[in-house]
Amino acid sequence: MRRTSRAWLAAAALAACGHGSSSKTPSGPPVPLPPAAPPPLVLPDIPTTIATKAIEPMTDDTPAERSALLDIMSGENARWMKTLSAQPDPGYYLAYQITDQRLVVMEAEGGALVTDSDETDRNLDVEVRVGAPELDNSHQLSDDNGLNAPLSRHGAVPIGDDKGAIARHIWVETDRRYREAVQALAYVRQDQSTLKKRTTAPDFASAPKEVYIGKVAKLEFDKAAWVARLKRCSERAYKGVVTRGTCRAEFSLNTMYMVNSEGSQIQQSWTNAQLSVSVGVKTDDGMNLNRLEQRFGVTPADLPADADDKMIEVATKDLEALHEAPLGDPYVGPAILEGRAAGVFFHEVFGHRIEGHRQKDETSGQTFSSYIGKQIMPEWLSVYDDPTIAVLNGIQVNGFYRFDDEGVRARHVPLVDNGKLVGFEMGRNPIDGFPTSNGHGRRQPGLEPVSRQGNLVVTASKSVEQKDLEKLLIDEIKKQGRPYGMVFTDISGGFTNTSAFAPQAFKVNPVMAYRIYPDGRRELVRGVDIGGTPLVALQSIRAASRTIETFNGVCGAESGWVPVSASAPSLLLEKLETEKAFTPPDRPPVLAPPSIRAQAVGGSR
Amino acid sequence: MKRLMHVLAAAALIAPLAPPMAAAKPVAPVTAGPSHAVTNDILDAVAEELNRAMTDLEIPGAPKPYHVAYKITEVEVNDAVASLGYTTSKKERHFVSIEARVRVGGVDFDNGNFVVAQADGIDGAASVNLPLEATPRMARRAAWLVTDAAYKEALMQLRAKLDSRKAGGVGMSSVPSWTTQPALVSEDPIDVPVNETAAQLATRAEAVSKVLRDYDFLRESRVAATSFIERRWYVTSEGTSATDTRRVSGVIVVAAAQADDGQDLTQYFMRYGHTGRDLPTDDELKAEAKNLAETLKALRTAPLIEQYSGPILFEGEGAAGMVRNTLAPHLGGTPLPEGLRPQEAKQFGGALTKKVGLRVMTPTLSITDDPTMTDAAGKAMIGGYHLDDEGVPGQKVEVVKSGFLKQLLTSRTPSRKGAVSNGHARRTAGGGVFHGSATNLFLSGKGGVPRKALEQKLIAEARAEGLPYGLIVRSFDDAAVTAAPEFTRRELVQLISNADVDLPPPVSVAYRLFPNGKLELVRGVQLTQVPIRAWKDVIGVGNTPTVYNYLAPTDSYLEQKVQGFQSDGFVPSGGIESAIVTPDLLFKELDVVDNTTGQHPLPLIAPPDQK
Repeated sequence: MRRTSRAWLAAAALAACGHGSSSKTPSGPPVPLPPAAPPPLVLPDIPTTIATKAIEPMTDDTPAERSALLDIMSGENARWMKTLSAQPDPGYYLAYQITDQRLVVMEAEGGALVTDSDETDRNLDVEVRVGAPELDNSHQLSDDNGLNAPLSRHGAVPIGDDKGAIARHIWVETDRRYREAVQALAYVRQDQSTLKKRTTAPDFASAPKEVYIGKVAKLEFDKAAWVARLKRCSERAYKGVVTRGTCRAEFSLNTMYMVNSEGSQIQQSWTNAQLSVSVGVKTDDGMNLNRLEQRFGVTPADLPADADDKMIEVATKDLEALHEAPLGDPYVGPAILEGRAAGVFFHEVFGHRIEGHRQKDETSGQTFSSYIGKQIMPEWLSVYDDPTIAVLNGIQVNGFYRFDDEGVRARHVPLVDNGKLVGFEMGRNPIDGFPTSNGHGRRQPGLEPVSRQGNLVVTASKSVEQKDLEKLLIDEIKKQGRPYGMVFTDISGGFTNTSAFAPQAFKVNPVMAYRIYPDGRRELVRGVDIGGTPLVALQSIRAASRTIETFNGVCGAESGWVPVSASAPSLLLEKLETEKAFTPPDRPPVLAPPSIRAQAVGGSR
Repeated sequence: MKRLMHVLAAAALIAPLAPPMAAAKPVAPVTAGPSHAVTNDILDAVAEELNRAMTDLEIPGAPKPYHVAYKITEVEVNDAVASLGYTTSKKERHFVSIEARVRVGGVDFDNGNFVVAQADGIDGAASVNLPLEATPRMARRAAWLVTDAAYKEALMQLRAKLDSRKAGGVGMSSVPSWTTQPALVSEDPIDVPVNETAAQLATRAEAVSKVLRDYDFLRESRVAATSFIERRWYVTSEGTSATDTRRVSGVIVVAAAQADDGQDLTQYFMRYGHTGRDLPTDDELKAEAKNLAETLKALRTAPLIEQYSGPILFEGEGAAGMVRNTLAPHLGGTPLPEGLRPQEAKQFGGALTKKVGLRVMTPTLSITDDPTMTDAAGKAMIGGYHLDDEGVPGQKVEVVKSGFLKQLLTSRTPSRKGAVSNGHARRTAGGGVFHGSATNLFLSGKGGVPRKALEQKLIAEARAEGLPYGLIVRSFDDAAVTAAPEFTRRELVQLISNADVDLPPPVSVAYRLFPNGKLELVRGVQLTQVPIRAWKDVIGVGNTPTVYNYLAPTDSYLEQKVQGFQSDGFVPSGGIESAIVTPDLLFKELDVVDNTTGQHPLPLIAPPDQK
């Protein structure tokens, strides 16, 4: 059976939808198909507005803060390599990564605490490469069934820096991983011996030695104050039609220690903070509606103290509107993806397809493999990924890191230059024409790293004001003779299929989707997804706004969940297709709800 | 506290509120005290919703619920794991949930005990988390939602069951689906000793795990400690409003090594009790850890067993393991759900369901199961409770008397007309009903003799069979404890494909006993399938009982073996609390094959110094 690889993006939680058997507004007649594409628009030569603050990976290198763990890990690495490199199936690369993570989660619903956890874990990842860079144990089998992949597992390691205890655990895990790699290489060789067409790119790229010692971060917050805040917040979130309202804070402290047989020794530490307001309701036709508002920061103190009411206001107002909104219809025609929505759109439609390893994967659709140097979108659009950006237009971005999970320095990577594809996001798995990593090998602890996005940024050398973009949309609606166009202001997430086994299609899930009529009137609709194929969608972009907005979230793919951001101007597309969203069968509760307001059920409770 | 409850008229007097906590001198808490998450206000709110469901919940054209039951569960669990003297994981967790179970139809025929094809999650039950602090309006809302979800599932399950019956092939149409139960009001909170904190558990785990640093040949070792409180409340449309609380502490020592021929070897020591005071002291644990390491050391060079067919003496935990793995699963009297996959059905035994009244064991053997007991032979037993998982008081049951099967362990799903629950509902299968399961299982034998005498009898039997030695089994593997990440992905897939699910777990400690009294440790002992009739050929019993506590997993041995490596804490605190008391057991004839799984190359380099 073939594996279907999918990647998806979510802002902490994907929206779940219910069943919509009937809409409040009866569906109109089918929207007629559009006529042929009009000529390109004339846009002013004014670029998008963007200001970034990047942090070079080596800044704040503080050798005095070096943990004893690095010496323990290096010692064991050297001891093993001495023997492994002399084996008939030689180990030629060995990397250890120990990740300490403290995760604090507090969540309140309806004024009461429902989750209160504070857990610390330490995970050991061992990567052993056996064979040679040209062909090693990681080489994908021609009929890949996943059995050759290293086992995903939690490597238990004692907390602290006791040499005897930690070295012992590294030793046993290395033994297991080497054994596993030797077994995998035997299957690779057997597979290769039966193949006529073989991949020419090697399996592994060496990388320069890196030594960086970052100070171990501290996670500081007033727990009692946060609990009280979340309780107050969740009580206030029960507004209007809301029947489910939670406020959640998630703080993490991450410290990663990495050494490899190339001599790299990296210690980096960071915190993340996230505040969410999530509200939901079930419509009369049974569809589950959810609205999520989030704020991200580096530390809990970065989360604005006055954010709660604003988030509640936005989330509940939108939910209220969605609750009253009719179901959308399948549609093809002009549309605007507003900033954050455009960011998610690019992340799914483009970003996952320029992850380097997918160009090599025989089971992948390799959408952009043959497009290097070719025009894939308008010449006034450029795209890059830059994990060194910490702040973009005043917003802390989620995809910042100094070194990736393969010990490679993060760097700015041009992907599209004036509409032409110029690069890929690369980990240490080379492809033809791109022999080295550009610092995008990422993973969730316990999984194998692959090339992933960090901070994806879309810029335009020609742009219009947001209000003019809407005018252009209306012009486009009229030109195409469509009854209305679409405006998407928020997208909760989506997925893209990159497996060659299935169509090279994407699907993103808009939360706030509006019909915009030629007279400028807006009408919110619910229950639609945006679908399509990437090459067509990218070539359909007609204009961009001057302002860039940022979507912060976490992205899940085969190497697990990693924090990312996607920043883009609002985009006008000549044609975008929407389809009816999947809504699992359901119906609203038979009985009317008991009151969930604080003043009900006895008043004082 | 007034509880508004449907069909409450027949209920007994409501028990008074628990007396207020003594408000005298502030002293360190030694008991956990009442729940702060589930109070009388919460139960009242749930009861109000129950009333509403029984009165108003109805989809036009479909039957109304005839029985609604809520179980509210609060769990506080602290765990810690250490290896070589240092903590690897430490967690304190707290959950509260409410589960609704809705039945539609009637007692004679309802939706229960039926697995909907391709949708075994449709079982008339639904659950959701509740706040960690008492919030009645949220509890009422949660009850509303889970009742609604469970009702709709129950209707779908009933429809599928009716269709299945029309299609034929069901042979239980005369057996009622459910049994009524008198209302029970038992609302006084049951106070239990406070949990050990994760920090306390970690201190203990670190201290014990440190002694294993002295054993260079160990590949891996860990000490895990757990402490949990489980509070349960039952509110049903029959008028039941009752509560029960369970408190368990446990400690596990596990170590792994590799035989000289490459075979993976694992040994464990496991103890559970009501609190940490029931467990061995740190010094005793250290001694056990050392024993375990010494056993592994000896196993590294111990010979592999060859095929053996003859008498086997099960001593201590070996006897308990034999009862646990080959007898206890068959003691449930609840009929298996219609439509249950045969593979899953095997976990529920069933070899005795049609043998009530017949002789099933050696005449000297008797079995009782008594969830009301808390200890035996001076040792704690964790399998007991006041109320089973259907809110029925646990009862002592005489299962086998002098070899004859008297009755089985039952839940509210009857196996015949007139049958009632004897308070042993513990475990669910697909289809959603609870099955009668063992709790505190007592196996006794007449004419018990000292272990030495049994060993002599073993030799005599072996001689009579022309065998050069007799076999002694002292423990079985427990995958919940020992599952280790030594296998590659390919090997795990192969393991699943090749495994015979009918076999009991591999033996972890076994000896050959020779006529001259020499004991020789052997590796790779695997019993072949042990038929229930083997229990008719128990030819000797000891005179000293072993008390053995364990958490019966809900997954099969193989599933645990495959999944165990994913656990990040390696602390088994999930499973059904169970206990077995048994003397040593001498079986006349059982078959053994050699188990050679888990062969891996020896490490290329010596381990680093860990002292």
